[in-house]
Amino acid sequence: MNMQQAIKMTAAETALVDAYTAQIGDLPGDGSVLSVRDTLVHELKTAGLPTRRVESWHYTDLRTLLRAVPTADPTAFADRVEALVAGATVLSVRNGHADLKGNAPEGVTIRSYTDSLLDGSAAAGLAVLGTDDAIGRINGGLVRGGLELVIADGTELEDPLEIQLVQSLGQAHTRFPVSFGANTKATVIERHLSTNAAESLISSVSDITVGEGAEITWIVLQQQGAADTHLGQIRFDLAKDAKLHLFLINAGGKLVRQEIHGKTSGEGADFKLRGINLLGGESHTDVTFTLGHNVPHTTSTEIIRNVVFDRAKGVFQGKILVAKDAQKTDAKMACNTLLLSDDADLSAKPELEIFADDVQCGHGATVADIDHTQLFYLMARGIPENKARAMLVNAFVAEIVEELDDEPLVEALESVISAWLEKHA
Amino acid sequence: MPAVQETIDQVRQIDVDQYKYGFETTIEVEKAPKGLSEDIIRFISAKKSEPEWMLEWRLDAYRRWLTMDEPTWARVNYPKIDFNDIYYYAAPKGTTGPKSLDEVDPELLKVYEKLGIPLKEQEMLAGVQKSKIAVDAVFDSVSVVTTFKEELKKAGVIFMSISEAIREHPDLVKKYLGTVVPTTDNYYATLNSAVFTDGSFVFVPKGVRCPMELSTYFRINEKNTGQFERTLIIAEDNAYVSYLEGCTAPQRDENQLHAAVVELIALDEAEIKYSTVQNWYPGDKHGKGGIYNFVTKRGDCRGKNSKISWTQVETGSAITWKYPSCILRGDGSRGEFYSIAVSNGHQQIDSGTKMIHLGKNTSSRIVSKGIAAGVSENTYRGQVSAHRKAENARNFTQCDSLLIGDKCGAHTVPYIEAKNSTAQFEHEATTSKISEDQLFYCLQRGIPTEAAIALIVNGFVKEVIQELPMEFAVEAQKLIGISLEGSVG
Repeated sequence: MNMQQAIKMTAAETALVDAYTAQIGDLPGDGSVLSVRDTLVHELKTAGLPTRRVESWHYTDLRTLLRAVPTADPTAFADRVEALVAGATVLSVRNGHADLKGNAPEGVTIRSYTDSLLDGSAAAGLAVLGTDDAIGRINGGLVRGGLELVIADGTELEDPLEIQLVQSLGQAHTRFPVSFGANTKATVIERHLSTNAAESLISSVSDITVGEGAEITWIVLQQQGAADTHLGQIRFDLAKDAKLHLFLINAGGKLVRQEIHGKTSGEGADFKLRGINLLGGESHTDVTFTLGHNVPHTTSTEIIRNVVFDRAKGVFQGKILVAKDAQKTDAKMACNTLLLSDDADLSAKPELEIFADDVQCGHGATVADIDHTQLFYLMARGIPENKARAMLVNAFVAEIVEELDDEPLVEALESVISAWLEKHA
Repeated sequence: MPAVQETIDQVRQIDVDQYKYGFETTIEVEKAPKGLSEDIIRFISAKKSEPEWMLEWRLDAYRRWLTMDEPTWARVNYPKIDFNDIYYYAAPKGTTGPKSLDEVDPELLKVYEKLGIPLKEQEMLAGVQKSKIAVDAVFDSVSVVTTFKEELKKAGVIFMSISEAIREHPDLVKKYLGTVVPTTDNYYATLNSAVFTDGSFVFVPKGVRCPMELSTYFRINEKNTGQFERTLIIAEDNAYVSYLEGCTAPQRDENQLHAAVVELIALDEAEIKYSTVQNWYPGDKHGKGGIYNFVTKRGDCRGKNSKISWTQVETGSAITWKYPSCILRGDGSRGEFYSIAVSNGHQQIDSGTKMIHLGKNTSSRIVSKGIAAGVSENTYRGQVSAHRKAENARNFTQCDSLLIGDKCGAHTVPYIEAKNSTAQFEHEATTSKISEDQLFYCLQRGIPTEAAIALIVNGFVKEVIQELPMEFAVEAQKLIGISLEGSVG
């Protein structure tokens, strides 16, 4: 096959490029920002959206799956919703526009990302992670807003910060560079919601740097509408002794790709990923994770739990890289799946790429239906089958939620999960 | 820990130039001109007195090959191969095909003697060998001799070189050749389809349990030649056969290409056990020379309750690109893959398996042990998939890697695809170095470090070694020892 030929653009590719051309005078930023945007959109135009021939998109052929793109509607309006957890500071972003009203907690500096695009300081961060970084490309080309947060050294936030992204329809492309200073402690909830059933396309990049000795919990709760496309990316970089607990729940969307790309840059860094993917209907959800253990003495554990109903398709790709001199790395990854329908589909690719010898690395992956003996024991105790099933599915995912050491938060997430299960199971 | 440091030091000094099968034999050969063209293919086909349909089949493959691109997805690096700088046919002079032992050039017999391959039937019968193994010896492009043919014939088993089979059993070959690995399959398989020169053909009829182990021994001798062998094994209903494959090549500075295709077909209730000890020349300690081993091996469990098992010990080759697979088509069929891949020096291995579950109640098991030392790269790449209708598909995969030294790499790339809720897949993989605890316990009992490491490595691969036929198990264990010499006593 000759790949050198210029591609024939699909409807979605044309729509994305057109969206750029239409807004070009209006998108924030000129000079360096504009030149990066131009390059990214040009790449999108020439390379197209990735197909399954691109290894990192093997199971999510974006070129085929993304059939159409809703037009951006600058007049669209979305309401704020209540915070997930009482007492949380809500930073509201509606239809891609950040609302800077309200007070920031002490030690937290909030700035509109649009301002960074306007003054050019955002240019460097717009670079893509590689030639296969389609999300970086789309987002970098079209991003309009978002928030830039700086958490001062030593700040300990008692209540969570909720970055609330509410979408009604159309498109939104947002970015969140967040820098946690040394020895900070905080919980951030990145929450993606839609207010109605109208179709929308979201791309969102969070770029997290965790300073020395900081302990951060970052929760991504994706509850978009059944017609929505969600292209999310989390980038992170951990300094010495930094701890990041990333907690991901996918409970919505039609076409979802959630990428997590991180690295450990200081010894003693510890990363924890916990993911719950609740998949139903005709949705396609892909979680792709890469972690570079770049320095010695760093640790990570990843646990992903997938529950797949109906005709849904789930994908998990996880890659742990251990660099040449990163001795004493300890990395463990598990991906467990309950495949609950014969029309559902799950593909997993847990990879290890190891160049250091004094390491402990492992991964496990399982796919199965509900254990029939467990079901039998519950039914033998008079619990009807559908209820018994629900209990077992719930137990399968609740286990990980309980690891979060914050009662109101655990309760809030559990109710999101049970609400979803009630609707789909 | 000092013990570990010692091991690393030992590995550093590892001399990989201890390949003991590196001798070269001077034998008069007949070669086709270098390069690849339709004429060369016609030449090969004519040399083998093949029927017209076979030539057409080859030419079709060749024309398709010309339109294909070399695969680049594997984790291996090598300079571009010039496919026109290779001899596609080289045969010891005067050999037109296997004949009786008395007619074989004594020089050739000496080669196999030196390699420790029993070709003399009478010696084996006289009890020199502990058990009987029928051998098909392939030297460069041709099969020079096949032993025990008569005895096998009595049992109804056909065991001969594939060239002979094309002439003598064209219907059988025509019916099965290319049905598991089609000519369109992949770059190297397509090339092989166009230019394959020899290989083995095994046909075990209904209800027959093959009375002895069958084996093929491949030897590349000539310079600049590629070896393209094709093996086809068919086990009819209720048949059983165990097949062994071994390979060596002389030590040379340039790289040589080996692109084989192996097709296995198991019908109802049949079982095929295929074992390989691959010991092609791996190149010297600077990474010079060695065999490029680009092999397509695939088994088709076509019948119900059929079983195919692959066992491989990979210690040789500069580059290995090989994924023995099972297509579990028949209901209740079973596929197994046991592998030990040892890489040292500058070797690069990208190997694994595919288990494709299509039928109901199919099961598969994968046990892969990778050991990387020196500056080698060792990758396990595997795929397990259950299709929509593959009810109750069951897979267990375990792939462990052991790293010796800090300049090598071990990688695991599994693809797990389930499209059926009754599928039950388990996959686990670990990468580590020799556990300090294990080493400590051995040392504490007075076992010297080197012996302790040997013990631990042997324990690490035991599960796979156990799957090998006895004779091979001993050879394999020795080979692993040699390959890791310096780190495992």
